[in-house]
Amino acid sequence: MTIEHAQLYCETCETVTNHELHYAGRLLESVQCSVCQTQFELSQRALLPAYVKDLEGRIVSKPRRMLHRAARDPLAFARQLPGAILRQPRKFVREFWSLIRR
Amino acid sequence: MSSPATSAAFGPDGVRAALVVLAAGDGRRAEHHTNKVLLPLAGRRVFTWSIRWARLLPEITHTVLVVRDEDRDVVQEVLAREVEPPAVQVVTGGDTRHESELEALTALAPGIDAGEIDVVVIHDAARPLAHTGLFADVIAAAAEHGGAIPVRHQRHLTASRDDDRPPPSVVAVQTPQAFLARPLLDAYVRAKEDEFVGTDTASCIERYTDLPVWCIPGDAGNIKITFPEDLFLAERLLAKAHWDLSDGTSPHRERPHLRDLRHTGEHP
Repeated sequence: MTIEHAQLYCETCETVTNHELHYAGRLLESVQCSVCQTQFELSQRALLPAYVKDLEGRIVSKPRRMLHRAARDPLAFARQLPGAILRQPRKFVREFWSLIRR
Repeated sequence: MSSPATSAAFGPDGVRAALVVLAAGDGRRAEHHTNKVLLPLAGRRVFTWSIRWARLLPEITHTVLVVRDEDRDVVQEVLAREVEPPAVQVVTGGDTRHESELEALTALAPGIDAGEIDVVVIHDAARPLAHTGLFADVIAAAAEHGGAIPVRHQRHLTASRDDDRPPPSVVAVQTPQAFLARPLLDAYVRAKEDEFVGTDTASCIERYTDLPVWCIPGDAGNIKITFPEDLFLAERLLAKAHWDLSDGTSPHRERPHLRDLRHTGEHP
């Protein structure tokens, strides 16, 4: 799970406040106002199909994204590729875990 | 400041447009906060989505991104990762939207003076779902009439008190907004001399020029990220469009389903 912070308008506080955002993969899972704790989250029923569809999109677009990266900086791409491959299983286990533990 | 980025191809009518993306937010908020346009949205940062769809148009020959000074390093990293060449010119914005627009136009002034830019398209980076066709429409309308803004009729509005009468026609104005480059730059130079601060680009144009501002149909999906729910909605709208808002102009049409690859014999 990735955590980001940003200022968004909170309708409960009626002003712009800091919010904490949780992502599963590249999919937004929940947003919580840091002041009043009002939380919006995708229900488990909606999150899983959305995640599967998004994962499919990620897999399909992966070759093109890798090609872009390789074309932009071939040396850095070659240097980082082994580590990126090794990190993938752990990354997906963490994503799946964050989805099923809700 | 990096040098202005240009591409060789022009639009079908020879119109050359500069894209200005406003990502500085409201600089008047004193406290430090993460800029919402830097948030991830379906695999990209919010602000790079609209740059991607707009720059599919051959009309777009220059791109200027207006950012907060404290976001500059992060923005440069994201641009290197997510935006293809030609390079985007990054400028630091002012305290208001008007000042940020002035900074962008000042950066474009040499190109406008040299006659290299006919139209300037100004877009709010917090509207990541503006599709390629909308950019094409405002550029074409601005080139023909002088200025163009996308609007949505708000027919559902009503008076909150009995003695209030709602105007007969109310519209919500969106971005991208496009204007002829020379009058736009002149208007902002005069506004600076008068210390006038407009609420949006059209207000400055209306005050200092006689250019007609043409209203074109906006898009219900062209939402502005303001509330937390907007991020969920933007994500779903992008997924529904298979992450492709190119209106068929993209050289890399998204093939979102594994079965599409099976049909073409490709493997992920």
